[in-house]
Amino acid sequence: MSEFFNQYFDFHVMGEHFWEVLEAFLQNLVIFAVAAALALIWGLALALLRQLPGKKLLPIRFITVAYIDLFRAIPILIIILLISGGVPFLSFIPQSIRIPHWFGKPDPFWYGVAALVIVYGAFTAEVYRAGIEAVPGGQMEAARSLGMNHWQAMRHVIVPQALTLIPAPMLNEMISLLKDTTLISVIAFSEAVLVSREVLSERLNSSAMILTAFFFVIIILPLARVVDRLIARNQGKIARGSHIEVA
Amino acid sequence: MRQTRLTALLAVLLLALASVAAVGCGGGSDTSGTSGAGGGEGGGGGEPLTVGSDIPYPPFEQGKPGEYTGFDVELMEAIGEKIGRTPEFQDTSFETIFRDVGQGKFDAAMSAATITEEREKAVDFSNPYYLSEQAVLVKEGSPIKSLKDLEGKTVAAQQGTTGLELAKEELGGSEIRPYPEGPDAINALKAGTVEGVIIDAPVAQHAVEEGGGIEIVEKVATEEDYGIAVAQGETELLEEINKGLEEVEQDGTYTKIFEKWFHAPPPKAVFSATHEAE
Repeated sequence: MSEFFNQYFDFHVMGEHFWEVLEAFLQNLVIFAVAAALALIWGLALALLRQLPGKKLLPIRFITVAYIDLFRAIPILIIILLISGGVPFLSFIPQSIRIPHWFGKPDPFWYGVAALVIVYGAFTAEVYRAGIEAVPGGQMEAARSLGMNHWQAMRHVIVPQALTLIPAPMLNEMISLLKDTTLISVIAFSEAVLVSREVLSERLNSSAMILTAFFFVIIILPLARVVDRLIARNQGKIARGSHIEVA
Repeated sequence: MRQTRLTALLAVLLLALASVAAVGCGGGSDTSGTSGAGGGEGGGGGEPLTVGSDIPYPPFEQGKPGEYTGFDVELMEAIGEKIGRTPEFQDTSFETIFRDVGQGKFDAAMSAATITEEREKAVDFSNPYYLSEQAVLVKEGSPIKSLKDLEGKTVAAQQGTTGLELAKEELGGSEIRPYPEGPDAINALKAGTVEGVIIDAPVAQHAVEEGGGIEIVEKVATEEDYGIAVAQGETELLEEINKGLEEVEQDGTYTKIFEKWFHAPPPKAVFSATHEAE
């Protein structure tokens, strides 16, 4: 039993590597911030493409649905490895894009961000879609009968209402995205898990890993509580029968 | 509506059941495989000896589960034959390998592992069975001609290895990328995302022979001796392994295996190299 505690809860090891692990964890937060912002935009774009009306736009709807299905199905680890192992070989792309070093961040950072945006774009698109489809059909009909076109109706009537319905599931996706930033360690980007594993191989001790887990818990637990409150608020609204509010 | 939901639920349940069954089968065949190896082997005739190893690390260890091969694997099999044990290699992660041996998860670890003081706190090492160098691997035609030239560049190495330590010691101003597996680091070099790789010389040699436009520009002697690790206090097993190693070195089996995997005769020093387990 004491061996277990020495292996995982050696406060001496934690203390010695605290700043190193914290600094690496900040990298996870930076990846998260960049990837989350881009994924939220990309996901909304996908959701809107999926809702395009009419027969002519069927191919676009089809491609969008295929994209969403595909990237929800492929494990994100595979996407990360494929991008980092494949993109640098595409010699028809200029090197500054193939092997990006933008804003002082090395290429594994951007390969990781790309993979997260590609996959989480698909997941968030489904959340947006749930929100859009939860807005009663009469809203669209009413907007169109006022003379708005499809895009105007989406922009001014449907999407604003949809957005009030989805914060809780969206936050869940974001929590999951934050945790998946650790997968970028496989392409040698120095984030918290990679640094903890470095400590593990150097000290033969897993305490730095526990420290990393602790950092994630500190960030994510409050978010989980926020999700709970959002759900409770939404249910309250539904109970009062004021499910729809125009933002 | 109700019907479809029920069908969906059934489908999910079926899927779950199928995966449980699959896992169950996997476990089952695993056990039968182990017992078969233990009882059925006439030649080795011995008790199984579980050996942890981080596979792949060609040419030391490579191949599919159940058919592992490589210098370490064949040498261990030769040693096992001398001491009446049948080695069973198991794939594991290098950074936890010494801890796992120390805790008895494996009887021994053989994974192109350098004998170091730090590691010796967790395990005991056999006599050296291989004397190693680190190689600096770059793209063919690269302006980088030595380890020193890598200063300030992007350099890859494998996590938890002496190559990584060497990079950290010698290349303070470089961006050093620790990859989880050696082949990943070499691929990054081929892809052009790093400018050099520091890795065990035979692994580098093997990578160069496989092609891909890379070359070795410098070999750095690091006084690295590879040893077989056992849990601390397993003196009897350690003595047996040392005895077996000495026998395969003297009867020429060692040289044969060495030449098969490294296409060169073994350094003479390895035959007299000894190591005191601390």
